[in-house]
Amino acid sequence: MKLSHYQKEVSSAMSECDEYENVVVFMCNECGQGSANTAGVARMSYDPAMRIVRVQCTGQVGPIQIMDALNSGADAVACVGCCLGACHFFNGNVISMHRIKIMKKLFKELGYSDQFVNQYTSRAAEGETAVGDFDDIIERLCSAIQEGGTIQNEC
Amino acid sequence: MNVKIFQFNGCHKCFNETILLQKDLKKSDIEYIENPYDWELEEINVAVITGYLLPTDQEVLKKIQSISDRVIAYGSCPTTGGLYGLANQHGHEVTPLRNLIGNPQELHGCLAEIEELSSLIQNNDPKALKNLCQVCKRRSTCEFLEKVHRQLETEDEETCFNDLGFLCSGYIAKECKERCIDYKTPCRGCKPSITRPGIRMLGMFGTLMGNIEVATEASKYGATDKLADEEDDVTDSLPDIVGNFFRFSLPTSGLPKGRIPSQGNILKDLFIGRMIEEIPLILGLLGGAHSITKTLNFIETYEKENNITITEKIRIYRDELKELEGELQKAVERKDPLKYEEITTKIREIAGNMNLSNLFFGGFKTPIRDDDEFDEYRTHTFEIVEGSYKNGVLNFDLDTEGRIIDIEMKEV
Repeated sequence: MKLSHYQKEVSSAMSECDEYENVVVFMCNECGQGSANTAGVARMSYDPAMRIVRVQCTGQVGPIQIMDALNSGADAVACVGCCLGACHFFNGNVISMHRIKIMKKLFKELGYSDQFVNQYTSRAAEGETAVGDFDDIIERLCSAIQEGGTIQNEC
Repeated sequence: MNVKIFQFNGCHKCFNETILLQKDLKKSDIEYIENPYDWELEEINVAVITGYLLPTDQEVLKKIQSISDRVIAYGSCPTTGGLYGLANQHGHEVTPLRNLIGNPQELHGCLAEIEELSSLIQNNDPKALKNLCQVCKRRSTCEFLEKVHRQLETEDEETCFNDLGFLCSGYIAKECKERCIDYKTPCRGCKPSITRPGIRMLGMFGTLMGNIEVATEASKYGATDKLADEEDDVTDSLPDIVGNFFRFSLPTSGLPKGRIPSQGNILKDLFIGRMIEEIPLILGLLGGAHSITKTLNFIETYEKENNITITEKIRIYRDELKELEGELQKAVERKDPLKYEEITTKIREIAGNMNLSNLFFGGFKTPIRDDDEFDEYRTHTFEIVEGSYKNGVLNFDLDTEGRIIDIEMKEV
């Protein structure tokens, strides 16, 4: 999907590079989605390239979903879950962290930057945690693109 | 019926195994073509493709497809990319047959089973295969791991390798004839039971590692925690993810093409980055004319440099294997199925299977004969020492984590 002229203007005003179009963020139904809702209510702005996918728990998200997103055109993938020790199920956010850590190592072994996949936490009551996570995703993605180009050309 | 067996690139292990087809089919029906670029066009009923494939082979493969009724991809290399597919990490373009020509019939496995090929050629119903875990004598509980082990020395033969912290891809594999798992060698999934086996196994093992410490740090924005980039117990316990999870399926895994600079030679690129304790199995899997000598050569070089002493019994068994390799070579040249079967049975008795799973540093992993003392030739865990190893024919360098950083193999 191409960004509209207006979206591009907003996007490049917020970050230094404009070589990305889609960033898929898997947000858990509890804290992740909750903080995004809070950010929306408070009318906070964030990068228009963000594509939020609502999941029950980040523990649902594994290498399969991440690679599917990258193969279908995402420039980066991130998970946003509950705070450490506060998973609403058992420890889905920590399990997801382990998988994503292994994915990061895998990308390094293949000669790519490890910043195309990341995991964050947020608090449902504070919208700025979600928006802060989004800003961090874009910042890391931009530095990765400047270092070695996007992953999309090879996927 | 006329059956033609084509050997493309790489090792001849599967190609040699097809000698056994002569037991089930008429000898005059089968033709072996070692050089597919140089043979006369004629009608084919069944074309069997073995060896790894490159995009440059597409033209001749299309030609073969156009004159044959059926095309069968036999072995891991033409089906999922196989061992040579690991070189894609360094930018090579090993490609499975299905990406070069449309819908071939596929038989997975490294070594693929000759009984399956025989029944497929004769259009018999394929044998229904169970999952490997169903036929494994070890039992899994899927509990979280405390630690991941690179080597295992245990008498326990009932607990699943994964429960012991020893990565095994049996979860995603089908039952097979080689059965590395019977020789204290965890499965690496050459015969996948699902699509995208490596990436699914990665998710599974990531979950099992759920109790191992993962590094987190405070986020710059918003004051919450996030996953840190630094090395931690999770990354330290898996030094070679590509080599262990994607050993046979890197080209079909859906991962982006590797960007690590190539060293020029596909064989060299395949080995760089692999862990030292996996090398005997990889060399055994590579098969070919001198796989036993090469594997033993590698093991002995490492043993000599690190003063790992081996007993007389081990030496006798190793010499026996080397002799058998010479005889096997003669049987292959004569295309003699009975002799080939006789010698491979003897090799399997000592080395476990044609992948040489039973061979290891400092001895053998499981008892070979019932009437001898296993303590005389059993292997023990060894220390991983970085450094440069040379013996003239085989030179290799190890890094601090025991990964190959440079290797050179000269043909004898």
